[in-house]
Amino acid sequence: MRNTGRFLCLISFLLASVTLASGAGAASFDISRYNGPKMKDLYYVIIRDMDAQLLAMSSGRLDVLSDIYRPADVERLSKSGVADLSLAATFHGMFITFNTRKFPWDQTILRQAASQAAERRRWTRDLFSGYCEPMSSFLPIISPFYESGVTHFPPGVEAARRRLADAGWTWNSAGWLVAPDGRELPATKILCPPSSIAATTTEIATLMAEALVSIGIPAQAEPIDFQTMLARVDVRDFDACTNAWLMSRDPDVLYSFYHSSMDVEGGYNMSGIADPELDRVLHQLRYAPDEAAAREYSSRAQKMLAELMPVIPIYSRYSISAMKKGWDGVFLTDRSTADNLLTLISMTPAEGGERPIYWNIPEEIRTLNPLVSSIAYDWTVLGTIYDTLISVDPYTFEDMPWLAESWSITTGESGSVLTFTLREGLKWQDGYPLTVEDIAYSIQFIKDNNVPRFYDSVKDVASIETDLKNRTLRIEMANTSYWHLHNIGGGVLPLPKHILENVKDWRAWQPTNTPHKALDGTTLTELIGTGPFTFRESRTGEYVHMTRNEHYMLRNKGARSE
Amino acid sequence: MTAALKRLGGSLIVLAVVLALNFFLFRVMPGDPLTSIVDPRFSPEAKAQLASQWGLDKPLSEQFVVYIREMLSFRFGLSMMTGAPVWDELKKRVPNTVALLLPALVLSASLGLWLGVKAALNRGSAIERVVLLTGAVSFSFPSFFVQILLLMCFAYFWRLFPLSGTTSIPPPSGGMAVLDYIWHLALPLCSLVIMGFGGFALYIRNMMVKALGEDYVLMARARGLPFRRVVWNHAFRSILPPVLTILLLSLPGVVSGAVVTETVFSMNGVGRFLLEATNSHDYPAAGAAFFSLALLTVGCNLLADAVYILVDPRVRREGSRE
Repeated sequence: MRNTGRFLCLISFLLASVTLASGAGAASFDISRYNGPKMKDLYYVIIRDMDAQLLAMSSGRLDVLSDIYRPADVERLSKSGVADLSLAATFHGMFITFNTRKFPWDQTILRQAASQAAERRRWTRDLFSGYCEPMSSFLPIISPFYESGVTHFPPGVEAARRRLADAGWTWNSAGWLVAPDGRELPATKILCPPSSIAATTTEIATLMAEALVSIGIPAQAEPIDFQTMLARVDVRDFDACTNAWLMSRDPDVLYSFYHSSMDVEGGYNMSGIADPELDRVLHQLRYAPDEAAAREYSSRAQKMLAELMPVIPIYSRYSISAMKKGWDGVFLTDRSTADNLLTLISMTPAEGGERPIYWNIPEEIRTLNPLVSSIAYDWTVLGTIYDTLISVDPYTFEDMPWLAESWSITTGESGSVLTFTLREGLKWQDGYPLTVEDIAYSIQFIKDNNVPRFYDSVKDVASIETDLKNRTLRIEMANTSYWHLHNIGGGVLPLPKHILENVKDWRAWQPTNTPHKALDGTTLTELIGTGPFTFRESRTGEYVHMTRNEHYMLRNKGARSE
Repeated sequence: MTAALKRLGGSLIVLAVVLALNFFLFRVMPGDPLTSIVDPRFSPEAKAQLASQWGLDKPLSEQFVVYIREMLSFRFGLSMMTGAPVWDELKKRVPNTVALLLPALVLSASLGLWLGVKAALNRGSAIERVVLLTGAVSFSFPSFFVQILLLMCFAYFWRLFPLSGTTSIPPPSGGMAVLDYIWHLALPLCSLVIMGFGGFALYIRNMMVKALGEDYVLMARARGLPFRRVVWNHAFRSILPPVLTILLLSLPGVVSGAVVTETVFSMNGVGRFLLEATNSHDYPAAGAAFFSLALLTVGCNLLADAVYILVDPRVRREGSRE
């Protein structure tokens, strides 16, 4: 109770202490009201050690610090008074996965009872001082496709035991469960990373094991080397294990996790759930022709999963970030912390004038080749260089115009037909005009070269037509799926044709080390996008220097960010 | 000459074994290099494309041939983490590692040597007690603790040194860049010296105490030789070969152990690269990093042998008799 109170106070404090951006609280978002970026220089500063990051933030040498996850650090920073903290729910989810291929976890009722016994609320309060949200759904609560009307079994050990007893399960003299057919339960080992790697995950596995024991299932946590754990899960050599994922706003990820076709070695259906009806719904979800159908199948899939319970959702992490005081124009919503692109575009010093932005990155940048990079921190940088055709409304997480001012998705003869109309007057960072030809070339390049990172987004592209005059791009897909809109519109990066056509080996392409060939006397490299900041220099392990993109679509519009 | 050739041959065999183990151990280790690259949105087909692009779908024998060719040519292939040639990645990191570790090793060894000899010459005195205490404290403190403490005191409260990295942002130009680099290295260097001198001091003190009690030292003193000469030319010289051996053989360990220092001070060095390459199963990078470490170890071993011959006349005479 004391912790809950403290948590609620702290959350209120955090939300109250952040600098609210103008317009926050609006029902939907209007990008045309923004004008930026306002600051000329942006430095992504690489500081790896968490304590060193906090020292740098507390001493005012950093402007933005993301991903603060230790409760003590949050309190330390909030007390220091140098920064405003913001907190938001995320797409993160932590689950206990059961191997449903073998007894006893092939028994649905046992998984349901285990879910009832999991005291998520108490665990998250005790372990994270409240900086996490207990989770009982298969999609994050902030997903626009989250279904709240799923079955929730009454929580608690007693309720779980009653449920099992009603279904004919009994307990032997030692207190262990016995199945209705007389089979005794083998011991369940919950694989988890060691506490030196992920202390709270190990603790959750231990608590889950205790919860299972409390309803009569012999269980214990088994901390093992993380890579060994992944290898064992890949070959399905486990009873139960811990898993954590950063999901996306689309429910299509449910197909990867729970469709039986994904239960292959190394596949993401780790629980091995194979339910023909669920498969059918997930297939319909993947190939839903429009948004209404996608919503319907997503809802049905979540309801079925809540009954089948192949995994037990435990908690979702909050994102907490710190922003140095003294900046105006900070943008945040109840779904987004202050460390976002819109803040980057609109932030200005409260005292006026010009000064560089120092933004922390906690890991070295591995590569800034957009075709191969798969690391989140690389994409923090790449995300300020490249734009997508459509973006995500920061208030609702619905689609929002970005490079494309409008779009449509219809069903043609062979499959979905996507039509995008670009904004007028778009330019690359090197001043070249951005046309639909660039986008068509990017998609074709990725498809022809089977670029793995974007392979799933473009593999079903059947044909592309462009209309330069009307700035229209028409893409015909080989099958019907509403997700093609997000895969192409939000998943594929438009890359400049005049640069991409000179790339000989895309896999070894180092755009940051290759000077821009087409412009004389420029300091630009081949890392050219349309985003708000242009790449200038990267010192491995030290920093990445970016400067304002004077050709940015929101720059020099004559409007203020109010 | 024959002995030298034998040593060289032995070293080459060691390298060949390391080279082979490097390949097979990484592949039998649990885990998969693609795990750190893919996410749930990757379909099995996309994952297969990725495996194919890195040659992981080829038979192991074929992969081994490619690996040996890349290692022996020192090209090392492309890093799976960065997509850049591994050789380029190492080249970016080696200068920082050398600039930090070499002075740290020299300074901590020199300080340890001076204090160790001082303690041995002043047995039972306050000097010896202080050396034993500071040596034990320096030797036993965890590195991250000392380093965070230094950061707190000298970079946060007193702001005498920078908190991270090896350059100011934005970096200064010309001669100021060199001073700026030294300024950034000062705190990590101090931390390594603080943590490194203790071991040397205790080791040298023990060796010197033993040497100073030997008959030949007593004989030298009985002959009326100046005290300094007895200490440095007789006692110290007799412990020099093992001290140099320890010093040289500690070098590879210092390089691979630099990961904590590089993490705390956000430095871009080889230790961190080695750890990240291993954790992400980046076969080419991890292979190259371990091969380079093996080369360094074998090289230091050979150098220790050579130095031993140089400083110990008995070994020289035995060598010439052979």
